[in-house]
Amino acid sequence: MNRGLNRFAIFVACATFFLIIAGALVTSHDAGLATPDWPLSNGQFFPKMVGNLFWEHGHRMVATTVGMLTIVLMIYILAKEKRDWVRKLGIFALLAVIAQGLLGGLTVKLMLPLAVSTAHATLAQLFFCTTVSLAVFTSRSWMAAEPLPEEKGTLPLRYLCTAALVTIFLQLVIGATLRHSATWDQHLPMHLVLTHIGGAVAVTIALGMATLTVLQRHKDEKFLARPALIALLLLFVQLSLGIAAYVTRLKSPGDPQPLNPMISITVAHVACGALVFVSTIILTLRTYRVLPARVELKEESLIHDYRIGQDLHVKF
Amino acid sequence: MNKQTKVWLVLSIALSLLALGSACSNSSGDSKGGTNTNATAEAGPYSGPTGTISGVISYNGTPPAPKKIDTTADPVCGQKNPNLMTDDTIVKDGKVANTFVYIKEGTVEGGKKIGDYSWTTPTSEVQLDQNGCHYAPHVLGVMVNQKLKITNSDATQHNIHPTPKLNQEWNQTQANGAPPIEKAFTRSEILIPVKCNQHPWMKAYIGVLKHPLFSVSSDTGAFEIKGVPAGKYTVVAWREGGANGEEKTMEVTVTANGSAKADFSFGGAATSSTKPSLQMMPALELPVMKH
Repeated sequence: MNRGLNRFAIFVACATFFLIIAGALVTSHDAGLATPDWPLSNGQFFPKMVGNLFWEHGHRMVATTVGMLTIVLMIYILAKEKRDWVRKLGIFALLAVIAQGLLGGLTVKLMLPLAVSTAHATLAQLFFCTTVSLAVFTSRSWMAAEPLPEEKGTLPLRYLCTAALVTIFLQLVIGATLRHSATWDQHLPMHLVLTHIGGAVAVTIALGMATLTVLQRHKDEKFLARPALIALLLLFVQLSLGIAAYVTRLKSPGDPQPLNPMISITVAHVACGALVFVSTIILTLRTYRVLPARVELKEESLIHDYRIGQDLHVKF
Repeated sequence: MNKQTKVWLVLSIALSLLALGSACSNSSGDSKGGTNTNATAEAGPYSGPTGTISGVISYNGTPPAPKKIDTTADPVCGQKNPNLMTDDTIVKDGKVANTFVYIKEGTVEGGKKIGDYSWTTPTSEVQLDQNGCHYAPHVLGVMVNQKLKITNSDATQHNIHPTPKLNQEWNQTQANGAPPIEKAFTRSEILIPVKCNQHPWMKAYIGVLKHPLFSVSSDTGAFEIKGVPAGKYTVVAWREGGANGEEKTMEVTVTANGSAKADFSFGGAATSSTKPSLQMMPALELPVMKH
């Protein structure tokens, strides 16, 4: 384990989170087309950053920085990391950030088509997931983790967590679609709002089940309990932000321009969604690390024999 | 390099080429979008007697108050126009400005549809100026293929971004001191929203028609459409408001050398035929005579 590599991976993950916030600010300010060209802004590397160009070009500058950091991270990983799959993940991170930059360019050149904008927002979350995973895999706690037993006769936790993760990812895609389907001066399409609300219910059930089960079975294991508790708390914050974002967004078509609190709340909702996603990723990865894939059945179970109409005690 | 890495490499290169291809493509709005300008008119140009449609746009009840615009994001805007307000509803003494009034359809005396006639595209330009981080005029009309001249009178840069449904969308930056941008729309469309992505409060609406039978109400709410062939028409008045605007329709009969009245009312107590919103529907498709 290389402590410097882990710290740098954490730094890149934090920079990526900042990049997600910068991107969300572009969308909330309706600044995506503040300049019609890409990769330059109005034909310049450093244009005068006034009006919405501040947000759009600022986002490009942060993105460029994250791209550079990812190159350094990959080189760092290739130099110091011995595990082949971690080295591959480092290469994947670089390819993902390149693809993300190109998708960002396409959103500008194609003038924000919904599919491309949604893909750009979704890949941002996947790239964040990748950098966080690299931070997890290079951490001391990951290396030192010992296998834990699972209670017999129960559903393996890793599958519960994976189900929650997939549900959150789908919800992020729906959220990105909703967010890019109408600008601040238009009403949000109701069918997408309802789908997103349905997704929030599904995420609450899936993540609630996964985290509460972790806390119930492994409350003394900080390695699992801590990310479960954080994910659960963030979920409640995210639900509250979602309601607040909807209420402020309802009012915004009547405003003369994008205004606070709509901007800050919708951006906070995007940022918190990313945090719910990565805390669930950390939890899921850790369950895969320390918990078994299969759980033994209970030694004795009641099985109903329909042929004789009686319950039988069966030993395994 | 293993197989998985190669797959990702190929995907990345493909995406790069797509982005570069897109970046190098011509973003001008004039190259695409189709046109009906070569359509042949069944009845040719109209040469019979004409009349006038005039009226006043009123607002019943209390109109929404203009809202102050925060220009701190670009100090140039605040310096030039310190009291910049929204201009979506300009009402003075109960009369509404910036209402786009046009003939949607109808029958000319003699039985031919108005859409059967052809109209010459004017050689004169229609100007849209950016002055004080504000579009002037706020609502305007042009004929299909008529030149729209866009100027920037501000000491800051703007970008002009029409978002049509039927015409080609384009987005172009205009720096301070830059020469005028000249564009034209090849299809009729009611109405095309125009925005500046640098100053999100800046909005304008352009009505594009294949005939010249349209007008925009002045500050007194008055409008006049001249040269209307004698006949019976559906006249539409559209004004900005809400997410998609609001429109009212009226049946109007124009007699030879006569003047028909078409007064419209908006607001809470308005009684004329109302559609809650205009979904940027296509306007009447009339053939246009090329000159």
